[in-house]
Amino acid sequence: MAMTDHVKVDEFKPIDLLAVAAAREVSDGDIVFAGTGLPMLAIMLAQLTNAPNAVCIYEAGSVDGRPISLPTSVGDARCIYQASIASGLFDVFNQLQRGVVDLAFLGGAEIDKYGNVNTTAMGQYGMKPQKRLTGSGGNSDINSLAKKTVFIMPQEKRRFREKVDFITSPGWRIPKWPSGEMVPKKEIYNKAFRGGPAAVVSNMGVFRFDENGEMYLDTVHPGFTAEQVKDNCMFDLNISRVSGETELPTYQQIDLLYNKVDPEGIFLP
Amino acid sequence: MGKPTRLSLTEAISLIKDGDMLTFSGFTIWRRPMAAIYEMIRQGKKNLHLVEVNGGTHDDMLVGAGCVNIWESCWVGHELYGKIGGNFSRKLQSGEVICEDYSHVHMLYRLAAGSMGLPYLPTYASMGTDMLNPEYDHLGKLGLRDGSNPKIPKKKYEIVEDPFYDSQLLHIPAANPDWCIACVQTVGDEGTVRVEGQVYSDEEAIKAADQVIILAEQVVTEEYVRREPTRNLIAPHQINYIVELPWASYPTGSFGFYEPDGAFIKNFYEKTRTQEGMDVWLNEWVFGVKDFDEFLTKVGVLQLEKLRANPVFGYSTKVKRGSR
Repeated sequence: MAMTDHVKVDEFKPIDLLAVAAAREVSDGDIVFAGTGLPMLAIMLAQLTNAPNAVCIYEAGSVDGRPISLPTSVGDARCIYQASIASGLFDVFNQLQRGVVDLAFLGGAEIDKYGNVNTTAMGQYGMKPQKRLTGSGGNSDINSLAKKTVFIMPQEKRRFREKVDFITSPGWRIPKWPSGEMVPKKEIYNKAFRGGPAAVVSNMGVFRFDENGEMYLDTVHPGFTAEQVKDNCMFDLNISRVSGETELPTYQQIDLLYNKVDPEGIFLP
Repeated sequence: MGKPTRLSLTEAISLIKDGDMLTFSGFTIWRRPMAAIYEMIRQGKKNLHLVEVNGGTHDDMLVGAGCVNIWESCWVGHELYGKIGGNFSRKLQSGEVICEDYSHVHMLYRLAAGSMGLPYLPTYASMGTDMLNPEYDHLGKLGLRDGSNPKIPKKKYEIVEDPFYDSQLLHIPAANPDWCIACVQTVGDEGTVRVEGQVYSDEEAIKAADQVIILAEQVVTEEYVRREPTRNLIAPHQINYIVELPWASYPTGSFGFYEPDGAFIKNFYEKTRTQEGMDVWLNEWVFGVKDFDEFLTKVGVLQLEKLRANPVFGYSTKVKRGSR
């Protein structure tokens, strides 16, 4: 067995494939905005493998840190170890608005076929929300203004919705206020339009968005079928463009994840 | 403004009135003014109006203790140690706390505009989202945008034609809170503030507020901080009160001083999902101790020492953080 060989289907956990598939979305040299958790694993793994020149910005205010100990959140003291700059939100969100961010990793509780994401409340919103979640954080700003975003989400039918209960984070078709008519993102963002959701990585497959901004299944993780993925979406998922199976992690990627990126078992128990 | 006044924590917090608008230093579970939170709960503050870039353990506690009426912000949770703000969710779902949802950039620009003496700032961030749904303008729906409270803007936001470059974007109203309570690492004895590590949105929060209370890990000679002025963040004339209070951010963390106490925060999150649980927790950790000294004594010196940052790295290398 060589380190560059792919592991076998029973030699990895679902979370490992999420991290590896997300890491593959990073191109070398990308300026990447990352949040807490799996996005940290993905960008750090990418920097150790396919994208050694990628720059990582954490939204609390650190630029291009080279942590030797995994941060548990973006505000962590570890983020600025060997960073070029330790600043604050005003610096890094202004960089985002300026258009320097190529790629960002995000998460969410629900997503629709246009990549609109809800992190605010499940069920009825309003003065007495049915089930309050965290709220937007930087998710919506980043999805607005980065060139490309990649969502990492657990595959559950109730999370892949025809319509999300609250549009926290804007996808490819979004409401134009005050009427709320759904229009293409470009129409609202004018000169600040640079792109939007490019991929969704779940524990069953990798999804992409077509010319109309609608989600389709690109690859299926080994062990699943396209029909099973479709059954775990509430909307009518397009599975006509499946290009094959998702590439499995290599022994080297698993080794790096467990022994170099997260040796303490913070996000990889 | 003259030079800042040195006060005890009790004295400083007694200046805050019921109904005042507050903002804080820090980010989620880092450099939050926790000692001030316990003291506000102990003093029984009511109807506070929080305006902050994001929430965390500090305001989930304040909300759970019934001190808050309005929260304008964008996020609350305890990071790895609690996925949502349990007290927040309960109080929002019951309608006991009024929430106005914005995004990170919106809240940041509200305070930035306030810090610049401007009425608003323009931004492209988070357009086309339900945060801008007119149905969800809660302060407006409740008639609180009628101008009777000068701290509440007459509109939540406005979509405006850019007069210069042919585009369209958002105008976000300024916020000038009555108070910013900020935890920092170091302050000179005349009031020059030094923040180490990431500064989060501290500069905007401090400069936007009408009055500022600094809780400092250490007060040093002014001569010491003025040897390297490029490392300092705020000048004394923008600070009103200084409280020297080591560990004031505990159980949240402080770069170069200590790690967040993840186990303490996780326990708080798990035990306070119900109001009954919250009341028991408050009786033990807030009302059951006389002051912050007694609180730290109850936490214990060995626990605090484990969290103390290694001076080379700026974080602790002694605390167990994961499963391995």
